[in-house]
Amino acid sequence: MKKIGLIYSFNTNKTSQAAKKIGEQLGNAVVHVNVENITEKEFLKYDNMILGVATWFDGELPNYWDEFVPAIEDMKLKGKTVAIFGNGNQKGYPENFVDGIGILGKLLESRGARLVGFTSAKEYTFESSQALRGDEFCGLALDFENEASKVNGKIKKWAEQLKKEFD
Amino acid sequence: MRIREMEIPKRYHIKKTDKETLSQWFYLMVLGRALDDRAPNYLKQAIGWSYHAPYAGHDGIQLAIGRNFDRKTDHLFPYYRDLLTCISAGMSAEEIICNGISKDNDVAGGGRHMSNHFAKPEWNINNVSSCTGNHTLHAAGVARAMKRYKHKGVAISSHGESSVSEGYVYEAINGASNEQLPVIFVFQDNGYGISVPKADQTANRKVANNFSGLKNLRIIHCNGKDVFDSMNAITEAKEWSLKNQKPCIVQANCVRIHSHSNSDRHELYRDDMELNYVSEYDPLAKYRRMLLRYNRFTEKELQAIEEKAKQEVKEAHKKAMAAPDPTSNSIFDFVVPEPYNSVKYPDGTHKLDGPKKKMIEAINETLKDEFRHNPDTFIWGQDIANKEKGGIFNVSKGMQQEFGIERVFNAPIAEDFIMGTANGMTRFNKKIRVVVEGAEFADYFWPAMEQFVETSHDYWRSKGQFSPNVTVRLASGGYIGGGLYHSQTIEGALSTFPGVRIVYPSFADDAAGLLRTSMRSEGFTMFMEPKALYNSPIAATPVPDDFEVPFGKARIRREGMDLSVITYGNTSHMCLQAAEKLSLEHGFDIEVIDLRSLVPLDKETILNSVKKTGKVLIVHEDKVFSGFGAELSAIITEEAFEYLDGPVRRIGSTFTPVGFNRILEKATLPSLEKIEEGMRKLLNY
Repeated sequence: MKKIGLIYSFNTNKTSQAAKKIGEQLGNAVVHVNVENITEKEFLKYDNMILGVATWFDGELPNYWDEFVPAIEDMKLKGKTVAIFGNGNQKGYPENFVDGIGILGKLLESRGARLVGFTSAKEYTFESSQALRGDEFCGLALDFENEASKVNGKIKKWAEQLKKEFD
Repeated sequence: MRIREMEIPKRYHIKKTDKETLSQWFYLMVLGRALDDRAPNYLKQAIGWSYHAPYAGHDGIQLAIGRNFDRKTDHLFPYYRDLLTCISAGMSAEEIICNGISKDNDVAGGGRHMSNHFAKPEWNINNVSSCTGNHTLHAAGVARAMKRYKHKGVAISSHGESSVSEGYVYEAINGASNEQLPVIFVFQDNGYGISVPKADQTANRKVANNFSGLKNLRIIHCNGKDVFDSMNAITEAKEWSLKNQKPCIVQANCVRIHSHSNSDRHELYRDDMELNYVSEYDPLAKYRRMLLRYNRFTEKELQAIEEKAKQEVKEAHKKAMAAPDPTSNSIFDFVVPEPYNSVKYPDGTHKLDGPKKKMIEAINETLKDEFRHNPDTFIWGQDIANKEKGGIFNVSKGMQQEFGIERVFNAPIAEDFIMGTANGMTRFNKKIRVVVEGAEFADYFWPAMEQFVETSHDYWRSKGQFSPNVTVRLASGGYIGGGLYHSQTIEGALSTFPGVRIVYPSFADDAAGLLRTSMRSEGFTMFMEPKALYNSPIAATPVPDDFEVPFGKARIRREGMDLSVITYGNTSHMCLQAAEKLSLEHGFDIEVIDLRSLVPLDKETILNSVKKTGKVLIVHEDKVFSGFGAELSAIITEEAFEYLDGPVRRIGSTFTPVGFNRILEKATLPSLEKIEEGMRKLLNY
């Protein structure tokens, strides 16, 4: 398997926890990259990427991702395979559950990237999500607040899925 | 495409927007923040700015509102947190500080209004209330005028997201949706109404979506912390609203970095984690990082801009500190504007003889006559115009047929909307005169009281820069078997507010004359109509076609030497009948004064009469307890005590509601018998 850039903010709590667990599942192929001071060059180094993104406020990207968006908008991402995971809170913020996954996913696709790692949305209860594609999320939705006990199992299953879906 | 799904074009972008524009924005943002950060120092030094609601965290959306506002075509209604909005709209640092420390040259209104309520009426940056979202109704009103006059502009109403909990905000948005008015309602959403979180306001975090069922309304959500997203959202909202002549809501997600205001302590209800993440998402810091990250500016260039802003604040501070304070005797300036001056009827009397007109005819004909005289007149209210129906009592009958639906139209059953949009519409220009039926009955005017209070404040608060030129007609009083909610007469309560005239005619000619004066005057007038007299022959009189009655001129309807009876409205006729009866039966010589105008009050006529007779009976339909007669009694006691030969007595309603059963109504309201008895007692004192 090619190297996988696992890109997220190191200055986070739950996203970092999830990233570490994903990294453990995927082994040596993974390189942890801090998005907070990422450059275009660093980002484009990886053909396989896993992006960690939380949803802030009422459905926004965290500022560390948001400030990188103008750079992504000019990138050519054809040939890149990207999987996205993100934390959400079904009960507290059901109007914009894991919107961050959807916003980032749409942007990357528009630049030519191939999204992988879709998961079923059926077992979640929420009102609206920009990550929704039919009855699937275009990434892995984790809900530490309301179903912490399921997080490990979901990550394990997702990592197995990614092993098959990454080039 | 459905309007809810329309994309927002990315007109502004960190990589594409020209450097000069980016530089201007940065300068305005730094200048605004320097003022916002400096404001608490004025309080610490006991100079002023004792109310300060910091805007830090709302920077993106406030910059965008101000940059999109065009003072030549638009109206802006900023709220008490809109410092950067006003700076971005063009106000200077000196103007901001002069408002903050309440100087006489504060362009909002010379230090009359609370600090941090920035305004510049000269530029259509309106001076608004502290009642959150109350100006939404004014925005809808001025947008209605823009539409009527085919003017290309928008009204921008800015407020916090908690304002949507107020019923009148719903009324404004519903009205703008129904009438398809070019209003942009901006909800600056920082998640709190002082300390009350959004979850305690409404179930929907995206509070704008509470309005998603309304037609003709576009809803845009944006990141109010982000300059580009906010600029794109407001620019699109304005363009769309102008082009489609429809309203738009922009909900801008912000953070409140500081407490609600200097009287709030947010550490009492926000934990460290929250305080940390809101300050981490400082919109100004984010914009600065973006300018550097994408190589639009060097650090040195940004520092130079920051230094320039700092200098401007320093200089503005010096000038503001040297500016004069308002003088104490100026408080009596700009309470009410000078009224129309009647040259032909200076004392409001006439000698016309001939056929009599009923009060309803007199009001109807005067309204029509004034609508012919002034093409900038408008009337609306509940039931005001639907085919042959013209008002609940048909007072405005035939007006829509003659003047059209653009000038004479129905209003929704929303009294505050009726009143608030009247206030708002007259902001468009000084020629406009609005008449509203404030409610179906005076009893239903209470929901409009917040706009009544607002309208009574505007002229004074803006130091004479804005006068709401509105006449509110209210069908008032009892004697119709109407019970608790169709019998009230509310002038006693209304007269406690400075800034409003209150007139209450008893006869057809005075109704016509006072209405004409009111519709030709600048200012706010309550025109109380005793509905029991609309069709009564006793109130019918000859009415000169051009009759005018000045404000503050009472009319002595019956002269006498033994007793002064001071009255108005329904009871004027009872007093005249009782006086006549006592004259015929016992030879008493009783003077009856019909006040006609309560505010301003004709003290001269009252005191001259008291000096002549030495005895006073005050009669009105409103309750004796705290009724308007209490004020009259106090004035007479204070200013003519030495002329009195007996106690000043009052007759009015009992301190109870008006019961529906006729026996109950009779027991409550004043009557000929009660008045006659009151007169006898005083005459025999």
